[in-house]
Amino acid sequence: MITDFTEDQKLMQQSARDFAEKYVRPLAKELDETGEFPVELIQKASEMGFMGVAIPEEYGGSGMDNVSYAIMIEEISRWCGSTGVILSVNNSLACDPIMRYGTEEQKKTWLTPLASGARIGCYGLTEPNAGSDCAGTRTTAVDKGDHYLLNGAKIFITNATNSDVALVFASTDPGKGNKGITCLIVDMKSPGFSVKSMHGKMGIKASGLAELIFEDVKVPKENLLGEPGKGFKVAMTTLDGGRIGIAAQAIGIARGAFEEATQYSKERVQFGKPISEFQAIQFKLADMAMKIDAARLMTLKAAWLKDQGNNYNQQSAAAKLYASEMSSWVTSQAVQVHGGYGYISEYNVERYFRDARITEIYEGTSEIQRVVIAANIFGR
Amino acid sequence: MNIFICCKQVPDVAMTIQVREGQIVTDGMNYVLNAYDASCVEEALVLKEKHGAEITLVLIGGESGKEALRKGLAMGADKAFHIQDDALNNCSSHVAARVLQAFFKDRSYDFILTGKQAQDSDMGLAGGILAGELDLTYVTNAVGLDVEDGKVVVKRQGDEGVEIVHMPMPSLITCSNDMNDPRIPSLKGIMSSKKKPMDVLKLSDLGLGANDFASERSKSTTLSFSLPPQRQAGQKFEGDAETLVATLMEKLTKEAKVL
Repeated sequence: MITDFTEDQKLMQQSARDFAEKYVRPLAKELDETGEFPVELIQKASEMGFMGVAIPEEYGGSGMDNVSYAIMIEEISRWCGSTGVILSVNNSLACDPIMRYGTEEQKKTWLTPLASGARIGCYGLTEPNAGSDCAGTRTTAVDKGDHYLLNGAKIFITNATNSDVALVFASTDPGKGNKGITCLIVDMKSPGFSVKSMHGKMGIKASGLAELIFEDVKVPKENLLGEPGKGFKVAMTTLDGGRIGIAAQAIGIARGAFEEATQYSKERVQFGKPISEFQAIQFKLADMAMKIDAARLMTLKAAWLKDQGNNYNQQSAAAKLYASEMSSWVTSQAVQVHGGYGYISEYNVERYFRDARITEIYEGTSEIQRVVIAANIFGR
Repeated sequence: MNIFICCKQVPDVAMTIQVREGQIVTDGMNYVLNAYDASCVEEALVLKEKHGAEITLVLIGGESGKEALRKGLAMGADKAFHIQDDALNNCSSHVAARVLQAFFKDRSYDFILTGKQAQDSDMGLAGGILAGELDLTYVTNAVGLDVEDGKVVVKRQGDEGVEIVHMPMPSLITCSNDMNDPRIPSLKGIMSSKKKPMDVLKLSDLGLGANDFASERSKSTTLSFSLPPQRQAGQKFEGDAETLVATLMEKLTKEAKVL
């Protein structure tokens, strides 16, 4: 198990922290206000090697491990939850499944540009009527010999406004529920493929959220990822890895809230002394520190298990569940420490509070994480 | 061009430093490459891109010092020497300079760079003493470097303004962190730094023994550390200009008694 970071991991943490401080921190507030996808920032992150951290160098990645990946996402999310999730989706939901299920040809064609950041990827699973319940997928891919004909729509797709490649889960056999789902790698410039930007989110406003619409999109057969009808397994194993990223994102957001609440408590004077000298505030901050640490250890354990090639299904669900609920609690307490000022957008904790909430919902709601954990306890 | 950079690993100054019984608490402390030395590496890399050069790092320190060297290599330096010997734990600037003198005496180089000071002790001595030991021309507080017609052109920050100094080669230059904004190592740089040569040297490899520094050791001894006293909170006055000036005058006269 992890007792200390390796030299590579320490260096990566330092680089990610310096990068976040220098490039992410100054932009974060503006990204929240405008909701614009941070094109130049993601370009810089690509140059750093953040788009495919755990993908081997021969496929355009950085050749590091999943522990390093979790470290990077926490450091970036410390300042900006939107940027954290953009990187998480590209690493976990676009690169990772192609690395795991892709043919050599698919890795060269699709993975290499995604892992180097030359192209950006998104993950099309959720539909208006199929969120937690994949079996309700209505998007269809009809076998036409040398290609599939894709029709339908996806909703709440992170990165979509600025992506080049989408992994799309479609039903190739509508009568079979989960067993009829197939995963396709789709070039988003294909005729009939359109993207409709979504607005009005509570937080992580710059994450490029959009709907994907498919109208007779021809997808060549060589773009089939894995086997026909085995897409549900691709989706679920991919989300196991994605949850490590979201847990790390939740921890980053919580750490930001904790650090800023700690600082504020030392500066805010009430009743003649800084509020950090009151036990009520000290205990709040002590609980925040404890929970952040617990969530981090759970997340690093899941990442470490993945690196060892072990099953990490339960651990990643538990890490994501605990970290996301912790993040909502910690950011809420940070607002409380700030009092009225915490409710004003001038202070970052107001944004952290909004950004944290989604981590309990996407890549599997808290309820679904409990289903996953329970399934491991009682057997499937 | 052959550039050597003398580096130090220091506690991360972004962390809270704690002192217990006169000693710095090292448990849980992060150590990083001295920021002034990182600026040296950055400047050397710019010179390398412009004129071509080999950049070699040298560091005195314990096992963890390797991380600071790895950072310099990840930024783009070519190779490193790690002088690691128990006899050098917490060594003074005089001892460090003496060890570096032994390291450099049989090597060829065009110039040596080092941070003008280390972020932990802020002594700013080792560079100057080393230049003396090696009998090199040296200049302090560089904020810019270039090479022209076989000379190092150093822009140095003085009290009265900026000086441009032409230095012969070889020479030694201590550098400010105002010189540049050091690049952040990419993950590719971090991974490739593992493949770059890093030699570990003992004192005996430099022809030195632990008892060779009696004179240097006697020059300075650190007795204990203490934290600076906490600053008192300031006072904030409110009101119109006339009231504010009157209040301030009264405070300066009666409380501070400086008027």
